[in-house]
Amino acid sequence: MSLGKLADIDRRVFYWILFIALMVPFLNPIGFPITISPNTQDLYDGVTGDEVDEGEVWILNFGYGVSAWSECHPAVTVCTKALFREGAKIIITGTHYDVELTYNKLQDTVPDFAEKVYGVDYVFAGYMTGGESVVAQLASDIKSVFPQDHFGTPYDDIPMLQDIEDYSDIDGVLSSDTGDFGTHFMTQWQGAYGTKLAEIGIAMNGSTDLPRWQAGNFFGVSVGSRGGAELEQLIGELGEATTAMDSISVSHLLLIIAIIIGNIGVITEKLGGKN
Amino acid sequence: MAYPTATLDVIGLWVGWFLMLMIYSYPLYKENVAYRFAEHLFIGVTLAITAITNFSNIMRMCITPLMQGQILMIMPLIFGLMIFTMLIPEYRWVSRYPIAIMVGAGFGLGIRGTIKPNLQDAIIDTITAPTGGGLIDWFNYLWVAVGLICSIMYFMLTFEHSGALKTPTRIGRLFLMIALGGYFGNTVLFRFTMLTGRAQFFLQVLKLIPM
Repeated sequence: MSLGKLADIDRRVFYWILFIALMVPFLNPIGFPITISPNTQDLYDGVTGDEVDEGEVWILNFGYGVSAWSECHPAVTVCTKALFREGAKIIITGTHYDVELTYNKLQDTVPDFAEKVYGVDYVFAGYMTGGESVVAQLASDIKSVFPQDHFGTPYDDIPMLQDIEDYSDIDGVLSSDTGDFGTHFMTQWQGAYGTKLAEIGIAMNGSTDLPRWQAGNFFGVSVGSRGGAELEQLIGELGEATTAMDSISVSHLLLIIAIIIGNIGVITEKLGGKN
Repeated sequence: MAYPTATLDVIGLWVGWFLMLMIYSYPLYKENVAYRFAEHLFIGVTLAITAITNFSNIMRMCITPLMQGQILMIMPLIFGLMIFTMLIPEYRWVSRYPIAIMVGAGFGLGIRGTIKPNLQDAIIDTITAPTGGGLIDWFNYLWVAVGLICSIMYFMLTFEHSGALKTPTRIGRLFLMIALGGYFGNTVLFRFTMLTGRAQFFLQVLKLIPM
């Protein structure tokens, strides 16, 4: 076979190889080593130890849907566990329409919920819409955005929200999203009031999130599943991300091989004079 | 999370499994009826969930407080209804007012918080030399500085990119290509991670790996 034919391989061949190869590491884990990135370490340090006092109130925003569970959810799970274990209280908000599904998933993946009391240790405020405007309004007056929680309980009847009015009553924000909400919290909370803010994002946003971590806008950043796997190592409870990392590494390896094969084909064709 | 035992949950799991295969039949085989059915079903369900979520949100945040006597809550309702005049060509101009208010508020809020984190902090971080860092930190510091200056020069369109500007603008273009390539690479890898999640789900439903 001429090397030039490598450029004409049917894309479906690659998709089949990829689909099958991704499953193999789940059945036979390889155990590629996972090193801890400094941005992930900073995120973990920021939600544990001396950085979080008992009784602190944090906002956890879900800006991702079911499709990004594999990217964002493992890191959110670890951070929720860490905050609960430090005695922090959490207000869970959502800017993605299927926020309820993600909230239910969090209940499954964080066993600490069983020891916590709804309305006292955590509250599910629910979905909010309005982009950057609603994030700004949340900083000015939380009750105006959530006059009641997701289940219809009025704001004033929720014990942990009795003394919570605006940004000054919130000790930290964890924004997890596939889009712009990390930026919105940065401009409307961290930039405007200096609120402690961390971002749990998808791999695609890593290149925009990491400079903000370096500039000090985010105290920590988790990038995609890799960030989740690192956090699972740090808390010492391996979970979904660690299991998936082998498979993700294989997919990256296959992509590199596909790029090399495609380039060999194209270069050979060009050298052979074919357009 | 354990494998569900309730009949409805198990049915839901298998429906999801088959729908996933129907969607993947397009890249793995070719466009077909099963794929189209799953695609249309997905769009329909997504729209339904979005509509219900937004309707509930309006009820919770606007209608309920309005019924409780917060009369000002009628304003967002009026603005929202004004947007629907977009559908009537004669009264389309009415919809421009709520849109203008939203755009104005958006810009105002955006500018308020943008300058410090997006400009000031980013510039300070870029021009601050590493303290006590190793050789790699200094290398990073210098090449980011070169990349930043050259990339900005590339967008200087007042002057022709020739003479003294030729080399730095070409270097700037190279940096931009590398950055965009990196961004695109991250986008592809994100999709691969999503695919990994589906591969895991595929095996979990078949009980080949724990859920």
